[in-house]
Amino acid sequence: MNEYVIETDHLTKQYGAQKSVAELSIHVQKGRIYGLLGRNGAGKTTTMKMLLGLTQPTSGEVAIWGKTLLGNEKKLLPRIGSLIESPGFYPNLTGTENLRIFAALRGLKNRDAIRSALDLVGLPYRDKKLFSQYSLGMKQRLAIALAVMHDPELLILDEPINGLDPIGIAEIRSFIRALCHERGKTILISSHILSEVALLADDIGIIDHGVLLEEESLADLEAKSGKYIHFVVSDTGRAAEILKGVFHEYQFTVQDSHDLRMDPTRIPVAKIVSAFVQQGLEVSEAATVEESLEDHFKRVTGGEGIA
Amino acid sequence: MLKLIFCELTKLKRKRFILFVILSAFLFPPPLALMMLTPRMMARYNMKTELFDDFFQFVLGYGVELLLPCVIGVIAAMLFFMERDNDTFKNLRIIPVTSTQMILAKIMILFLFGLIFCLSTAVVTIVCGSLIAETGGLGYKLWMAAEMGIFVTAGTLPLVVLVVFFSRTYIFSVLLCIFYSVLSLTAESCFEVLPKLVCWLMPIPLTNLWCAGDMVRHGVRGTLGGLQHLVPTTMQTALILGVMAILSILLIDRLYKKRGGD
Repeated sequence: MNEYVIETDHLTKQYGAQKSVAELSIHVQKGRIYGLLGRNGAGKTTTMKMLLGLTQPTSGEVAIWGKTLLGNEKKLLPRIGSLIESPGFYPNLTGTENLRIFAALRGLKNRDAIRSALDLVGLPYRDKKLFSQYSLGMKQRLAIALAVMHDPELLILDEPINGLDPIGIAEIRSFIRALCHERGKTILISSHILSEVALLADDIGIIDHGVLLEEESLADLEAKSGKYIHFVVSDTGRAAEILKGVFHEYQFTVQDSHDLRMDPTRIPVAKIVSAFVQQGLEVSEAATVEESLEDHFKRVTGGEGIA
Repeated sequence: MLKLIFCELTKLKRKRFILFVILSAFLFPPPLALMMLTPRMMARYNMKTELFDDFFQFVLGYGVELLLPCVIGVIAAMLFFMERDNDTFKNLRIIPVTSTQMILAKIMILFLFGLIFCLSTAVVTIVCGSLIAETGGLGYKLWMAAEMGIFVTAGTLPLVVLVVFFSRTYIFSVLLCIFYSVLSLTAESCFEVLPKLVCWLMPIPLTNLWCAGDMVRHGVRGTLGGLQHLVPTTMQTALILGVMAILSILLIDRLYKKRGGD
């Protein structure tokens, strides 16, 4: 049985008549990286805010380590590190001074915690540069340092690579991967960049217009989005009958009155086309298609795709 | 709570305005000391200790009561807008620090600044006073300044409610503070015609009445004239301002929660 660190049940957030998140049920397994993938405004940040208790759900439930957050904040929140939206720090203080404030409030006893966190993200300790003078990338690194400073078991990172340069992205990516695979942390990241999630995540949840469209492991998704045979015929209903009756083939989906999609089969495509024609169907297209992850996401998000 | 207060103080590091605030405590005593030296003023006193007592009262009456609400209001704006402006509220809430804890820490800082401001003013007043007159009753005067700091800060909390309620720019907050101080001063000039209840419900005029009465009670020269019936005891003043402060804190908490939430 899977051990879920985060489990939501029909989580919904409604602002007026608009549902920002609708009936969302995600499952984040222990020691894995879960990528919440969706376009800008899909509801990723709102979901993460609800997980952290920063905004209250309209309905539904959040369970973290099997406990509801409400009423258990003091037990659960210290075990979580997070980065939500843009990095928020005091501009008149240096990075170290900023971290020192949060370390004091967290009651961190390890004196090296701040130095270690800054080292991990490649920022200098006791630098004189004020936060207001930081570049966007440095701000993002400091926010990640804040998230990991208290050595949390669970990390919730909203678009962690925002504002980073390509080298920075690679560094943070390997850092996140190491946190999960070497130190056993559970990580939930959100992103609108498909390639980034594909490179990092073990499990992926696709969210669009607040609705979770798919939740699978990356391996399953890659298998799903592999090859298929695409037929364009005059009558897909009749074609379906032929596939079942003549070829005893059931692994296909009728997409509309003309499009039919079939999983790869040992039956030669030419033989299928010939059977269709003999039964009086017009076949205007028959092709083996290799679908990329991106094509798959485009398809599940209704053709809009993800950046 | 101590940690939170320490962190609130750290957040004000390198804020130049804080330095100006502390320096503003030195604003009133020197010119008022010069004013006391004018022949017309000098002629009013038989003894130099009397001159010092009046000088001290002037500074507390005008300097502190006019300036301190502005100072408290502006520091409150800085403290209460800080999390909103820097988007740090989320970092604090996930520690977790509740908005009530945060508000209490910020209000403690306001009281601390009120105390520092009044004691600094008192010290400068004593220094200036020693140059122009004979100082006396210093222990009581420092104690009185500390009490003033607490009372005026408590009396300014209703203004902080407005600052948080409107939650606009710093300039708007400064204007609000000036308006509050001017309104209080205007009310003080109308003591004779205002009903007792109204006088006691206005925090700064109430503090002024208490200050004048308390000084007379402690043998400091001065007459209350027709205002004797308006003068509250220390207990009454503390009670009225305490109730106002508690109500203000509850309102600030409610507003802050509303803003910080959804």
